[in-house]
Amino acid sequence: MTRIVIRKVLRAALTLFLVVTFVFFVLRITGDPVSAMMPDDTDPAIMEQLREQWGLNRPLSVQYVEYWRNIAKGDFGNAYRDGRPALEIVMERVPATLKLALTGFTFILLTGFPLGILAAVNRGSGIDRAIMTLSVTGFSLPNFFLGILLILLLSVNLRLLPAYGSEHWYNLIMPVITLGTAGGAVIARYVRSSMLEVLNAPYIRAARARGMTEREIIWSVALPNAAIPAITVIGFMVGALISGSIVTETVFAWPGIGRLLIDAVSSRELAVVQTIVMMTAASMVLANLTVDILYLIIDPRQRFGSGSGE
Amino acid sequence: MTEPIARPLRSERLPLQISALSVILGGEAAAVPIIDDISLTVGVGEIVGLVGESGSGKSVTCLAALGLLGPDWSLRGDIRIGSAHLDQRSDPRSLTKVRGRDAAMIFQDASASLNPIQKIGKQLTDTVARLQGISRVKARTIALDLLHRVEMPEPEERFHSYPFQLSGGQNQRVMIALALAGQPLLLLADEPTTALDVTVQSQILDLISKLRDDTGMGVVFVTHDLGVVSEVCDRVAVMYSGRIVEAGTVAQIMSAPCHPYTKGLIDSMPTLGGHIPNGIKGQVPSPDKRPVGCAFAPRCFKASTQCSQERPGETTDNHGHSVSCFHSLTEAEGISDVENGGASVAEFPVTEGEPLLSLKSAACDYKTRNGVFRAVAKVSLDLREGESLAVIGESGSGKSTIGKLILGIEPTSEGKAFFGGQQVPLLGTQAHKIFARSVQLVPQNPYLSLDPRAPIGKQIEEPLVIHRIGTARERQAKRNELLEAVGLARAHADRYPHEISGGQCQRAVIARAISLGPKLLICDEATASLDVSVQARIIELLRNLQRQFKLSMVFITHDLRLVRSLCNRVAVMRSGELVELNETELLFAAPRHPYTRELLASIPDVVSESSGHRLSSQ
Repeated sequence: MTRIVIRKVLRAALTLFLVVTFVFFVLRITGDPVSAMMPDDTDPAIMEQLREQWGLNRPLSVQYVEYWRNIAKGDFGNAYRDGRPALEIVMERVPATLKLALTGFTFILLTGFPLGILAAVNRGSGIDRAIMTLSVTGFSLPNFFLGILLILLLSVNLRLLPAYGSEHWYNLIMPVITLGTAGGAVIARYVRSSMLEVLNAPYIRAARARGMTEREIIWSVALPNAAIPAITVIGFMVGALISGSIVTETVFAWPGIGRLLIDAVSSRELAVVQTIVMMTAASMVLANLTVDILYLIIDPRQRFGSGSGE
Repeated sequence: MTEPIARPLRSERLPLQISALSVILGGEAAAVPIIDDISLTVGVGEIVGLVGESGSGKSVTCLAALGLLGPDWSLRGDIRIGSAHLDQRSDPRSLTKVRGRDAAMIFQDASASLNPIQKIGKQLTDTVARLQGISRVKARTIALDLLHRVEMPEPEERFHSYPFQLSGGQNQRVMIALALAGQPLLLLADEPTTALDVTVQSQILDLISKLRDDTGMGVVFVTHDLGVVSEVCDRVAVMYSGRIVEAGTVAQIMSAPCHPYTKGLIDSMPTLGGHIPNGIKGQVPSPDKRPVGCAFAPRCFKASTQCSQERPGETTDNHGHSVSCFHSLTEAEGISDVENGGASVAEFPVTEGEPLLSLKSAACDYKTRNGVFRAVAKVSLDLREGESLAVIGESGSGKSTIGKLILGIEPTSEGKAFFGGQQVPLLGTQAHKIFARSVQLVPQNPYLSLDPRAPIGKQIEEPLVIHRIGTARERQAKRNELLEAVGLARAHADRYPHEISGGQCQRAVIARAISLGPKLLICDEATASLDVSVQARIIELLRNLQRQFKLSMVFITHDLRLVRSLCNRVAVMRSGELVELNETELLFAAPRHPYTRELLASIPDVVSESSGHRLSSQ
C-alpha cells in the first residue's frame, strides 16, 4: 500500500512539473509583457530598457532555470506594475475563492448523490425522468448564462438577493448555484448509472434473499459499491470547479483568484499568472491524489491488487 | 459447537409446499406463463432435486418461492415455507421476514454473490446479528462458528478476507454459512456447484448433505447434472418448459424413468463407463411459443397426434412416482442406454510414424505482479495422426495453456512445440498464417467466439476469404457443404448468432474451424457451456467429424466423463504439471497417480449410483 502511495505522489509531482513548464513557455511565446503594458507609441528604447530590467531579453532557457531556482527559494517573482510579490497578491484572494469553491463542492455532493440515488431507485418512474431532465438542463446551461439568469430573476425582478458583494452568507447563494449546478447534474447521472449497475449485481439479489430490506440494501450494500466509480468523477469535478470559479467570479464580481487571473492574463503579469496556474495545478493534482488514495481506502481490490486468484 | 445453529426439528411443518403455482411474466396483454401449474413438496431433512435443461424454469421456481422475482412478474397458486404463506398479495415487508429466516438461497456464482468490498467476517456477523436479533459481539462468535461449520480452511484468518481473496469453493462455503445464519427450514440451492471444479464440487455436496443431517432443513437442489442428483438427492422433479413432467425418488427416476424426456436427459449424460451420450434433438420451446399439447411432443420419439393436441394429466403410481405423459415408458423402455451396454470406447486407426504434434519439455511462464508464474512446467507429449488426446485438469491446471502452446498463441518459455516436424510458429507471424490452415481451435463459449453482427454463413466462409481460397461461388458451395457436415440447415447461413441456440452456434463455430481442412482440432472446453442434451449431440458430431475427415483432436476439458468415448489417450494436468498420461482404457481401469484417482472418485456418475439404486429398489 505504501509503495502504491509513493508511486502516486511521484507521479503527481511529475504532473505539476510539466504543467508549470508548459505554462512558462506558452506565456512567453504568445506575447511580450512590456508591449502589453506600455502604450503603443512608447519609445522603443524605453521598452528595451524595461525588458533589460526585468530580464526578459535573456534566452528563455536561462529565464526558465532562474525561474525554478527562485521558486525553490519561495520567490514566485514580482508583479511588473507595482513590484509586489506575486505570491502575496494571489494569497490575498485565496480565501474568497476557497469559500466559494468549497461551498460549491458541498453543493455538488449534496445535490448529485441524493438525486442520483433517488433516480436509480425509482428507475423509469416520473421521479427518474424529472431528475434526468433537470440533470440534462443543468449541465447544458453555460454557467455564465445561468449566473446572469439568476441575477435577472432573484436580484433584478424579485429583489431577493444582491447581485454582487461577498460580505454576507447570502451573497454566496447565487454564485454557488451557478458554480455547482453543472457538477451536481453530472454527479447525479453518474451516481444513477453506477447505482443501477450495482443494483443488478448478483450480490444485491443475494442480499435480498437474506431478508435485507430495500433500504438496508441501498445504503449499506449498493451505495458503497456505487460510490467507487463516482469518486473518479468527483476528482475531475475539482478541475471544473476551478475553471467554473473564474467565470462565476467574473459574473458576480467575486474578489477571488479567478478574477485576478483574468486581469493578470490581459495585462501580461507573468509572475501572477504563473503563480495562479501553479496553485490551481497543485490543487488539481492534490485532488486527484486524494481520489486515488480514497480508492485504495474504499476498494480493497485496489489495495491488494486484484486477481490474487491466479 | 453445533449448539447455536441447530434448532429443534419442526416436523409438523413442511419446509416447502408449492401448490398449483404459475408464474407469469408481463402484464395483462402480453402475459407469458414461465412456470405453468406446478406442485412440489419438500419434507423435513429432504433434498429434492430440480432438473431440466436451461429454460425449463428451475431457477424461476426458486426465486418465486422467495418472492425474488421483479415487479413484472406475478404469481398464481400458493407457496408455503414452514408456517409462512406467500402468494400474489404478500407485501414486501412480510417477504423480508421470510427470507433468510424461513428459507435461504445460495447461487451458482458465489464469488459474485458476496459484497465485493466487505470482509466476509463482517458480512457474516451483520447477517447473524440482523437475522437473530442479537448484538454484534455475540453475532461475531456465531459467525466464526458458522465458518467452522462450513469447514472453511483456517476460518480465523479467512474471517478477515475479502471475497476476491478466496477461491470459488471457499466463497460458496461463505454463501452457505450466510444461508445458515438465520437457521432456515429450507435451503434453495440454485446450481451451487456448477461453476466449481469436480473435487471442490464433491466437497460442497458432502457439506450440504451433512448440514441437512445436522439441522433437518429441507433442500431444493437445482442442477442440470443428473450425476449430482444421484449423489445428493432423495427425490427428483424433472422440469420441462415450465412444468414438472416427472417426479419421484432418485431410484425411481434414474433407473425406471417413465417420461421420454427424463430418459433423454439420462441418455445424454456422459459416464465414466464410456457410454456414448445420446442427446435430445431440438430445443426447449420459448414460453410464448409453447405447443398446445405436451410441450415436449415436438422432440419426443413416442409423440402421437394426441400429444400435440392435448396436455397430458399427471398420473401417480402407488409408490409416489408421478408422470405427465400419454405414453409412459415401460420398465424395459425406461432402461437407459447407459446400462444397455451402449458403452463404447474411442477406437480410431492410429497411423505409425512421426508424430503429428509433439511437445518437448515445453514450459510456459506468465509474468505477474508478483513475479513469474509457471502455467505449464516442462510437459512432453506426442500426438499421432488420427489420434485424439484428452487434456484433463481443474481450473489453474494449465490445460488451456497447453492448447495455447500448440496453437502458437503463447510462446514456449522453455522447450519447444512441434507440428508436422516444424516448430510451431508464433501467432502474428507469416508462418503462422500457413500453420493456421492445419490447426484450428473450438473455444468454450460460441456466443463469444462468433461476431454478433455477422450472419453465421459469412463467418463460416471467412477463413476461406482470409486465405484467398476459391471464388465467391466456390466458397458458397463449400459453406453449404460445411453447414451440412455439422448438421445445420442452409437457412442458418443467414441467421445471426443471437437468433439461434447455443448448440447451433457451437456447430457453426465447428464448421468455421474445419473450413480450411485442418489436420488437428483443439477443443477447449468446447461443450462446457452447453446443456447436457446439447453437449451429447456436439460430442456425437465431433466423433463423426473425426471419422469423416480423419481429424486429430486435442480435447481440453475438466470433465473426465466426456473423454472415454472420444479420446484414445488422456493427459492429466495438475498445477502446470503433467501427472499422468496413458491410454484411455488403462487410465480408467488402473489410474496410477493419486490425483487421477481423486478426480475419478470425485465425479458424480449416473451409472454407478443409479445401478445401486436399481438394486435397492427391486
